[in-house]
Amino acid sequence: MSRESYCDAVVIGAGANGLAAAHYLARTGKRVTVVEQRQTADPSADIGWVPARVVRDLGMRDLRLEEPDPWLTAPLSGGGALELSRDVSRSADAIRRVSPADAAQWPEFCARLSTLAGVLEKLYLAPPPDIETRDPRELARIGGLGLYVRRLGKQAVIDLARILPMSIAELLDDWFASDVLKGALGALGIWHLKQGPRSGGTAFNFLHHHAGSPAGVFRPARSNITKVLEGMKGVDVRRGNRATVLAKNGRATGVVLEKTGETILSPLVVSSADPRATLNPVAIELDPEFARAVDNIKARGVVARGTLTLEGPPNYANLCIAPSLEYLERAYDDAKYGRDSAAPYVEVQKTNGRLELHVQYVPYTDGTANVPRHQALQQKVAQLLGVQTSQVKLQSPDEEELQRGATEGHLYHGELTLDQILFMRPVPGWSRYRTPIAGLYLCGSGTHPGGGIPGAAGRNAAREIA
Amino acid sequence: MTRSRSAGAGRQYDAIIIGGGHNGLVTAAYLARAGRRVLVLERRYLVGGAAVTEEVVPGFKFSVFSYVVSLLRPEIIRDLSLPAHGLEVLPLESTVTPMFNGDYLAAWPDADRTRREIARHSPRDAEAYEEYGRLMGLMAMAVKPIIGMVPPDPTSLSLRDLRGLLKVGRHFQSLSDRHFHLLYKLMTMSAADFLDEWFESDVLKATKSASGIIGTFMGPRTPGSAYVLLHHYMGEIDGAYRAWGFARGGTGAISESIASAARAMGADIRLDAEVARVRVRDGRATGVVLANGDEIEAATVVSSLDPRRTFLTLVAESDLPDEFVADVRRFKIRGSSGKVNLALSGLPDFTCMPGVGPHLRGAMSISPSLEYVERAYDDAKYGSFSRQPYMDMILPSVIDPGMAPPGKHVMSVFVQYAPYNLNGGWTDAKREAFGDAVVNTIESFAPGFKSKILHRQVITPLDIERITGLSEGNIFAGELALHQLFFLRPAPGWAKFATPVRDFYQCGSGTHPGGGIMGASGRLAAMRMLKDGT
Repeated sequence: MSRESYCDAVVIGAGANGLAAAHYLARTGKRVTVVEQRQTADPSADIGWVPARVVRDLGMRDLRLEEPDPWLTAPLSGGGALELSRDVSRSADAIRRVSPADAAQWPEFCARLSTLAGVLEKLYLAPPPDIETRDPRELARIGGLGLYVRRLGKQAVIDLARILPMSIAELLDDWFASDVLKGALGALGIWHLKQGPRSGGTAFNFLHHHAGSPAGVFRPARSNITKVLEGMKGVDVRRGNRATVLAKNGRATGVVLEKTGETILSPLVVSSADPRATLNPVAIELDPEFARAVDNIKARGVVARGTLTLEGPPNYANLCIAPSLEYLERAYDDAKYGRDSAAPYVEVQKTNGRLELHVQYVPYTDGTANVPRHQALQQKVAQLLGVQTSQVKLQSPDEEELQRGATEGHLYHGELTLDQILFMRPVPGWSRYRTPIAGLYLCGSGTHPGGGIPGAAGRNAAREIA
Repeated sequence: MTRSRSAGAGRQYDAIIIGGGHNGLVTAAYLARAGRRVLVLERRYLVGGAAVTEEVVPGFKFSVFSYVVSLLRPEIIRDLSLPAHGLEVLPLESTVTPMFNGDYLAAWPDADRTRREIARHSPRDAEAYEEYGRLMGLMAMAVKPIIGMVPPDPTSLSLRDLRGLLKVGRHFQSLSDRHFHLLYKLMTMSAADFLDEWFESDVLKATKSASGIIGTFMGPRTPGSAYVLLHHYMGEIDGAYRAWGFARGGTGAISESIASAARAMGADIRLDAEVARVRVRDGRATGVVLANGDEIEAATVVSSLDPRRTFLTLVAESDLPDEFVADVRRFKIRGSSGKVNLALSGLPDFTCMPGVGPHLRGAMSISPSLEYVERAYDDAKYGSFSRQPYMDMILPSVIDPGMAPPGKHVMSVFVQYAPYNLNGGWTDAKREAFGDAVVNTIESFAPGFKSKILHRQVITPLDIERITGLSEGNIFAGELALHQLFFLRPAPGWAKFATPVRDFYQCGSGTHPGGGIMGASGRLAAMRMLKDGT
């Protein structure tokens, strides 16, 4: 007979959000067990702004943010590179060499977008506003947000309404002329989206990934948040076992561990795994309309991630190969019809002492490992970077799904498109981390505010539960 | 009734309307109806703008540009008694999509028949279809009050704007959660993604999504295209939502009926009268100067031209705030569609439905698969016309025999995509190559078609611009993209038909709500002007 154990709360997944939720819950006096399928911690997902609030609340003294300067190096077609620095005027100097007009626009562009990112930062540290509510407290909160935005000035209100639904290509075309600058910035607008830079909503995605960064820095920070959280006492983390939610009569009862068959009984199950993977095993307990909405979550993986090995240290901290918006758009065209980009967008980030790769678009296909396709991709990326194929190691979304269980290998458990953010995330009407199953909560990137802000969803969820 | 403040000033006109398109005519009619002395100035020899019927070849009448009617507001039809002025809308009820394999997908006026037809492709879709149609109808109803209101300015602190914002907020709150979320999805998703949530049959999704891309520079997979899907569901004829129709005598008959109503109410309409510029004195419009040098005074001037033409050619930039000029320049008006009008010696014979049948009384849609339509867009994205374009075709002479000589026919082919900014620019040779791409594609679905062509009129976006004046040939006088709607149409702070020049107004499709032969912009502008004391 398989073993049974008890605790006050089980958290599925020991990523930044799962651990953050666990620690917040532990602080309310609960005995918390975290179950993680991987044997070792994976720092490659620690991308993005860690809100100061979370750092403070959980006392993460050892948290280190990597703030490379220059934060972006984009090779120029005639040799040399455009280097963007943390200092706005130094970046402007660098841009002046490719386009004096763009250099003149740079400071204003940085300031305007920073203001908008500030609005997102405010929205992201709380559950999404419930526009359909009649609860006076929530209405007051929404009113407060409205007032906050209006205080930022007329321009900010107009920018918000105009820019959020826009495509990143339109936004950048409004401001700049230089292809290399627009390509390097535009790439952030398509991060983890199966959309090209000309698709509406990519300007929002750009802004989302700008949130938390200083004005003029358009690449999310990297940190060691997972490692720090894991090193903290107060929760029990059990690795190497995949957990499946158990539910009965519309109530969560605990989880069962796949390998050992052990059952952990708990009245509270909080999953940082992706919503579809979490809810599929208990689909029978769900209302068909809700199940359909979960099924409709767009989580189309398009990014191959991996590492690059070099013999010596590179002469960049963050290399971006996206020479123009059209380059990105054509890369997307291939993905639209299910092919890997013939000429993909490639970014190399130096972090935690290694070089991480982000290659887009590599669309998810059928969830199986395809060796020839994989080799062709690595060869192509090696060629673009001017290195040997053996120096490039990549994982396609299909492999990512096989290994991590994230649906369609999507790092954010759901694309950050306008129809899947705020009160629409993870599914319309269920943005408050709850599910129709009592006692079962979601707290991963699939929930508000989404990927790229490690710890925020975990915190919001834990506060909603407590 | 309060008379305009100019009444005693000895001027001949209270208001001059620049442009005799349908919105200009609607504004004129409403102002005349309120007792104002109104003059419409039209550059061409006939009224209608992009809604005209012309006999390009003797005996064959073409609805040269716009060719179907669905969105014309019923209150306008009622207020202006348009049927009494000759408006008669003939229903256009079926849509048939020929497929590559010789099969087809059809939607018939009879709901049961349509359901059986869809079930042939997918029983699951047939079930979903009914619910889909019902919900889209509800959604169209839900947006109706928003379309019918003057957009409040969220940046303003005036009581009127705050009240307007509150009204919008309350309206959305009155929707159920489920409907609100659906509406939100329609505002933000791509037509293809939205339809993926409902249907599995590719040809059904392709045909539905095609209505989401009409007049836009978007593909079915571009977010934002779902909204246009809804925009096209808003049509109402005789109160029946989403019925499409065809005006007896062609689209020009709609314009003629509005013009006739306006005249009956006392408006003057002058043809062959091109306006060169608006006369501005001390920040106030005082009249217009015609291309021939004539000057006409009026207390108020209204432009029905698109925002770019209105603000960058009719008035001097120095009369406008810099920020406003920058906003107008930013306003996207990319032309993406062309038109091919054909005089035929006989009816086309489609492989999927051979011979003459009821399908020829409706629309034929060349949208065999989502990938087909998306690839058509890819061509345009990089500056070529679609080698295999999406097309919406109707045969007006089948429904209204007066459009062509006995036994002969006219065919209206709406074609997408044809970018205004073609690589290397449009030339006569490229126009013909574009025409060839169109007829060759039709020929592949209806062999023998080309031999029936007596005359072909190919219209590129550049031609649309040259003839009608619509910038870049954009049929909506400004794209219907989310960031160009409501209080942002055409520019933030100036979505309420007034302009930075006093006594100068705008009333064209480039203002809220815009798009299609709808007339709502023209009507709202007139109401606003009357409220302001015109």
